Amino acid sequence: MKRFLVGALALALGAISATAQSLEDLNIQIHGYATQGFLYTTQNNIFTAKSSDGSPAWTEAVVNLTSQPNPKLRVGVQARYFMLGNFGNAITLDWASADYKANDKFGVRFGKVKTPSTLFNETQDIDPSYIWSLLPQGIYQIGSRNSNLSHYGGVVYGVVKLGSNLGKLEYRGWGGERVIGSDDGYWVNQKEAGLNMQNGISGVTYGATLHWKTPLSGLTVGGSNLKDNQWVAPLTSAIPTYGTFPGTETLNAFNSPSVHARYEKNKVMVVGEYARLPVTGAIKVPGVYTKPIRLDQRSWYVMASYKLTGKLTAGVYDTQIIDRQMALGPARYSKDWVISGRYDFNQFLYAKAEEHIIDGTMIGYDTAMNPGTLKPSTKLTILKIGVSF
Amino acid sequence: MKNLRYVILLLAATSIFAINAQAQVIVIANPGVKANEISKNDLRDVFTGNATSLPDGSRVVPILLKSGTVHEEFLQVYIGKNDTAYRAGWRSLVFSGQASMPKSLDPETVVVEFVAHNAGAIGYISKSTPHEGVKVLTVR
Repeated sequence: MKRFLVGALALALGAISATAQSLEDLNIQIHGYATQGFLYTTQNNIFTAKSSDGSPAWTEAVVNLTSQPNPKLRVGVQARYFMLGNFGNAITLDWASADYKANDKFGVRFGKVKTPSTLFNETQDIDPSYIWSLLPQGIYQIGSRNSNLSHYGGVVYGVVKLGSNLGKLEYRGWGGERVIGSDDGYWVNQKEAGLNMQNGISGVTYGATLHWKTPLSGLTVGGSNLKDNQWVAPLTSAIPTYGTFPGTETLNAFNSPSVHARYEKNKVMVVGEYARLPVTGAIKVPGVYTKPIRLDQRSWYVMASYKLTGKLTAGVYDTQIIDRQMALGPARYSKDWVISGRYDFNQFLYAKAEEHIIDGTMIGYDTAMNPGTLKPSTKLTILKIGVSF
Repeated sequence: MKNLRYVILLLAATSIFAINAQAQVIVIANPGVKANEISKNDLRDVFTGNATSLPDGSRVVPILLKSGTVHEEFLQVYIGKNDTAYRAGWRSLVFSGQASMPKSLDPETVVVEFVAHNAGAIGYISKSTPHEGVKVLTVR
């Protein structure tokens, strides 16, 4: 699938080169952004960083190159360097796609494309777009962002007017292959327990999202459903004093639905979203053990922001995630109450400050950086500076 | 009482200037664009990347001013955002692969020249800027 898409993209780029008369015709644009963050936690170490001592281990840089040789066709590529604690520290391909927009009602893009699930999935990594340093982690886990952001395949999209006084319906449909890499945040604790998937896991994914832009100006409501088919990947299990054994990890097919509502007008933005991730499967090491996988994660958040001045925006959000399959205790949930501020020095340079009050240890913590017992709650302070062009 | 009169006069003067300021921004389009008028909603959709054509089917391409009072006024009156928030919205589209950043030009005479010679181009300028070769769209 990946080879086919890369080949198709190469053909599209070749066609553009053959027909363009000059660079001006190609309408080439280069954009980018870079951010540097600082994390401090009062207890525990979060996101595999030594945050309890204060950690600057959070750096990102993105370069984006696009060409629009004619009004209906656009091709582009985006590369990213991402480092957060022990996550990333590598340059990866965010997306590389060809986009053909026949009209406002129908367009298609293919290649490695952003996955338009939930409200913010395809834009969750675009730090210059938000007041927040961290989006609600129950739905937008930063450790798994690279895997959730995009897939190899296609997206169809468009906007349909619903008739007088009924607003517009924006639709997105996608299909293809999604890859959860071996260094993804999902596997951190699994890896630290001796289970290693050398090549990650991948499989078929598809789904749809609808946004109803209601007749009430500024109000959008919608929903999304992501479906993954069964995925299977080989792994090795290292058992101390016994050795390393081959096995498989199977994730059964599942649906992940979400609903959202957003109101944005002038200086105010209010958003609410709910999502569910139910996953079953098993880790099988033949002749040694079989370990079932059972998750039923339910997450929601409510957020609001207000533009205090032309340069200063403030916001708050409250979010919770709970895994109904886990035993009772702080590891079953994470509750996060957040207050945030953003200052735009100019259209290129900005700074953010954010305070999280986190109760529960379900997400963000690994055993290697937190030997011993995790404290059930912590405060997280984030400072960030960013530049974009 | 005297201070109150001054405050009322000042508010009235500010209002007059505000009304006059809004009236100073006009929307221009390439003569090939069929429409002679555009709704505020459609104008906002075009300039926020949510639409690439008008209801009559004309494909349009938004052209921005780089900065200045006319630019700020256009954003405030028709988009409801300041420049920073407006460009952040476009960056979401650019960095997610959904759009290219619209052209930003300066000064207004260059905008007029570009709109006049590029099919589908639609921009905004001060009413007092000479605008031969383009059509003015009424915003309703």
